[in-house]
Amino acid sequence: MSLAKPAMRGLLGKRLRFHLPIAFALSVVAAAAFKYGVTEPRKQAYADFYKQYDATKEFNNMREAGIFESVRPTGK
Amino acid sequence: MRNWGGSVVHFNWRHTVYGYVQSCYTPLAQRCYSHGGKLESDEEFDARWVTYFNKADIDAWELRKGMNTLIGYDLVPEPKILEAALRACRRLDDLASAMRILEAVKDKSGPHKKIYPYLIQELRPTLDELGISTPEELGMD
Repeated sequence: MSLAKPAMRGLLGKRLRFHLPIAFALSVVAAAAFKYGVTEPRKQAYADFYKQYDATKEFNNMREAGIFESVRPTGK
Repeated sequence: MRNWGGSVVHFNWRHTVYGYVQSCYTPLAQRCYSHGGKLESDEEFDARWVTYFNKADIDAWELRKGMNTLIGYDLVPEPKILEAALRACRRLDDLASAMRILEAVKDKSGPHKKIYPYLIQELRPTLDELGISTPEELGMD
């Protein structure tokens, strides 16, 4: 029982032709998933937070809490 | 991919499909277009290497250089090339290199497990004539 001749040339090229487009596509998918799963929600969360943010009110709350040295709480 | 560093892999960029280049599916393993000449066929490539190793007064450096260059290509050498290389080892009284060549082509096959047994089958007459044991026969695998 003698063995048939297998393919012996271009094996790496064949492998790369198959795997590199897949690798490239998966990389793009991973980047897109991170962008739309992580960075965009994060940016949106910041935007939502600051949309209704009243800086003066927050400042006065902090002032009354006594954390500042340059302005004392009102009434002292 | 272990052979990445040394391999010369050339895609055959023949067809342009949907506006991007898609490689052709007849693999041309290793010939360069760099001289702009006629492409060497597989048979010419094999014949060139058989001639290289068949040089009667080949020296040890040329044997090593030839094998290292050959292993760098994206192919497993044909039995006739390996036979010429093994005979060169015989002329140089170099059994170690002869067995190393067998180990090298086994490694070169990578995940394609059918190649090495086929090569040993084709080389069996030469191995017997020259008295070369395979690493498997000596338990060195």
